[in-house]
Amino acid sequence: MAADDVPRWPDLPPQEPSRRWRLARPVRPRLRNPALGKAAAAAVLIAYSWFAAGTVPFTISALLIVLVPGAVLAVIAYVRRPKRIPPPDRLDLTGFSYWAIAVGALFEWEASAFKDGAPSWHPALTTLIDPVLGTRPVKAAGILIWLLAGWALVRR
Amino acid sequence: MVTRILTIIGFAALILALFVLEFLGRRKGSRIPTLGEWLGYLMRSKTGRALILLGWLWLGWHYFSR
Repeated sequence: MAADDVPRWPDLPPQEPSRRWRLARPVRPRLRNPALGKAAAAAVLIAYSWFAAGTVPFTISALLIVLVPGAVLAVIAYVRRPKRIPPPDRLDLTGFSYWAIAVGALFEWEASAFKDGAPSWHPALTTLIDPVLGTRPVKAAGILIWLLAGWALVRR
Repeated sequence: MVTRILTIIGFAALILALFVLEFLGRRKGSRIPTLGEWLGYLMRSKTGRALILLGWLWLGWHYFSR
């Protein structure tokens, strides 16, 4: 046709595909002071951990203090994705095998105690950790570490 | 009593080994990947990501809800 070589939008300069893609993405509001944002997030996490450590085990509230962060992280992971740390293209098999052996041995050690019913002469890791988590500050610290680990996983 | 102590030493040694591997993995030019690197590698697929995140959720439930 005669009008094939006429640009459809003469006022707009031609754009690269990557440029168009960037314009199509919603722009995230940037905090003016990122350090303040991090401090606020840390305060919220510490307060949540302290609150969560006060729940009584085997209750609905004790279940919710785990499910709520799980749901929040799932929403963050799929709806508002954080900037991810790119995974390595390949793993050194020998190097990874050290991890596999150590993690496998830990599971085996735990499973052997669990199989025996975790008696006092052969306790499971859970049996050993439970009394330590009995105090609220230690449990709060444990929950905080667990939350940070979850955030680190979402960023991977 | 001796078996209890041996069990605890076994757990301590294995957990210490994990920390040592992480330390070794962080050295420049190390062939050993860090925990984050191999977990990230396993989480490249959606299935791997879901399984790792479910494992994290299970840990929280096991230690903090029960």
